[in-house]
Amino acid sequence: MIYWSIKTLFSEPMRLMVSALAVAVSFILVIFFSAVFEGESDQIVAYLKKMDTDIWVMQKGVSNMHMASSMLWDWKADKIEKLPEVKEVSAILFLNGPIKIGGKDWFAYIIGLSPKYQRGGPWDMFKGKAIPGPGEAVIPEVINRLTGVTIGDEIIMLDRPLKVVGLTRGTFSMASSVVFVSHEDLGDLVEAPDQYSYIMVNAKPGVSTQSLIKNIKNEVDKVNVLSNEDFIKSDWTLAVQMGAEILRMMTTIGTLLATLIVAFTAYSLIARKKQELAVAKALGFSNGSIYLAALCQSVVITGLGLLLSLLLSYTVIIWLPLVIPQLNLTVRLHHFIPLAIIALPVAVVASLIAANTVARVDPMTVFKG
Amino acid sequence: MLKLIRRQLVHEPFRTLLTCIAIGSALAVILLLEGFQTGLYVQLKNVALTRGADLIVTQSGVTNFVASRSLLPQISREVVESIDGVKEAHPITSMPIIYDKPGYRKSPVFFMVYDTGGGPVVIIEGQKASKPRDIVIDKSLAVLYDLNVGDPFIVADFKFNVSGITEHASALFTAFAYISYDDMIDFFFDSDLIGDISNLPLLSFLLVEVKPGADKNTVAAAIEAAEKDADVYFPEQLSKNDVTMGQTLFGPVMGVLIGAGYIIALLVVGMIMFAAVHARLRNYGVMKALGFSNHLLIKGMVIESLVMIVLSFPLGVLLAQLAAMFIEYTVPLYMVPVLEPVVMLRTFIAALILGVIGAYLPYRSIARLDAAIVFRS
Repeated sequence: MIYWSIKTLFSEPMRLMVSALAVAVSFILVIFFSAVFEGESDQIVAYLKKMDTDIWVMQKGVSNMHMASSMLWDWKADKIEKLPEVKEVSAILFLNGPIKIGGKDWFAYIIGLSPKYQRGGPWDMFKGKAIPGPGEAVIPEVINRLTGVTIGDEIIMLDRPLKVVGLTRGTFSMASSVVFVSHEDLGDLVEAPDQYSYIMVNAKPGVSTQSLIKNIKNEVDKVNVLSNEDFIKSDWTLAVQMGAEILRMMTTIGTLLATLIVAFTAYSLIARKKQELAVAKALGFSNGSIYLAALCQSVVITGLGLLLSLLLSYTVIIWLPLVIPQLNLTVRLHHFIPLAIIALPVAVVASLIAANTVARVDPMTVFKG
Repeated sequence: MLKLIRRQLVHEPFRTLLTCIAIGSALAVILLLEGFQTGLYVQLKNVALTRGADLIVTQSGVTNFVASRSLLPQISREVVESIDGVKEAHPITSMPIIYDKPGYRKSPVFFMVYDTGGGPVVIIEGQKASKPRDIVIDKSLAVLYDLNVGDPFIVADFKFNVSGITEHASALFTAFAYISYDDMIDFFFDSDLIGDISNLPLLSFLLVEVKPGADKNTVAAAIEAAEKDADVYFPEQLSKNDVTMGQTLFGPVMGVLIGAGYIIALLVVGMIMFAAVHARLRNYGVMKALGFSNHLLIKGMVIESLVMIVLSFPLGVLLAQLAAMFIEYTVPLYMVPVLEPVVMLRTFIAALILGVIGAYLPYRSIARLDAAIVFRS
């Protein structure tokens, strides 16, 4: 019966392909959602990762950069710099909000760079100047591609026009494109000319990060101090968890749809082969073996769907950002684990629906026209 | 032809039902995704519109209400209220915080600080903030963190008490919580946050009520002339700007997702039409032997496909609405309005087009069909 089942399935390859593709696209819907949230979350921490610092110092009560606000007096950076275990300090002023580029508001991480601390600047330049002076800005080259705004053009931060002097790579994100401006401009607009938001600290060789964190907390009032790993983890988790519920919903919806597609394919195949099944029953095949045949068909369709989704995810989804540069997509193998786990029950449920029809087949059908 | 299609559909009612469920489900996914997208924009649209203002004053250059850091001079309220035609100017401050309850995940929350106006629109449980440290939270926070009226809501070691729960107070995947100005100042001082802030961000926006009979445009111009650091908007304009920002943020992702939904629907229709053609090859053979052309047979397939879409659409709407209600009940952070007439009409028209394309997918099977099949066993 299993041989019959597979043979029947592959006798109409085009139809099998369409069914498997429909299952695959249902799964891809789920994978795409995961890829968007993880891709965005990866990009949200791109700035933190690229700074490659040991320790981040921020306002007390703050432990994130994403959707957070932090203010520290500038003298705190000087005080930390003077600690004997500290090799290097850098500091930025930060604002998470919209900035008008090419007539559109882009939600951005606006980084205010002071002449003293330039380490917080861009890490990969596409074109132009990396460190903006007063009245200047450095924007992601993806925004340049999307809006046509280029070096020499004007963008608006609140009501302040700034001239674009550089384009950066690896800084675009839907929720956190990194735009670099001068500390002077940003400080003036947010009324924080003598403040920083985050201080980056590098320890001298041989100094443990944990002991330096403890020392900074002892020496400087009203600050929160986190290791680079903890700060990145905190932001990444916050960002990725913002989509956790909707991801679960999409997984449920995608799975239900896939179940229905597999069930429909298996059912319509079996319904058309009623006569052959009646012959099989008349020849003494048990309902059990026919159930197994139905299960086999469902497993093949689901398995093919899963394989196709894997294939399409690593080709089409990866390639998508080249066509739609606004998308940051990260496809990881772990996205497929819940789908692979779900795929088996999908096949079982679908085959049960189809097998229910088979169980009711009368062996006498074979004698009917 | 229509009679034949009707008979075919009635002849196998279970198959027809399963087909309707399959197509209906695929359409439900499209409607859900469309609803999800619409919900994101509706949430953004409502924030400025539901504040109850005739005009909204922002920091000069700030063109959005949601997620913008607007900072007005504190004297602005006095300046604006002294203008002819202004009945009252209600201050409001928007402040992002991260809520972190032990044992639960972290969430960003927008504190909406209000005084005499602009607070929560509806209270579904409890009451508005009336005592010190009262806070009104969105239902999504209550569900996510198992919070009830009377529970503590601790932010940066500062303890608020949940006095009420509101609904539909969220945007950009972020819930709102409403507190009073006194509590905001206490919050700044008690949690030691004040030390590093040279100027308290006390005033983000002014919600202006215009006197009856006063011309809003004239009042807006007078405010802009009197307060150089401010811009004045009609709530509708700010709301439109927020939606445009949302479209820039979510448009590409939602476009791809909805596109994937349409591909699924197309494949499902194609799969069904393949099944239908293969199940009736002998019938088509007879029809070809009787002189029916390929064109006529395909026309029949198209009509059948369209009939199936028309039959499945109400089911799709029903399934989408049930799923939307489930999502809104379990995760009230999201709004999923699937019954928007424009969205439904657009999806219906697109589904009909898909039906036509899907009906053509098994064209080769019909075109290559030999009429002699009818004489084979």
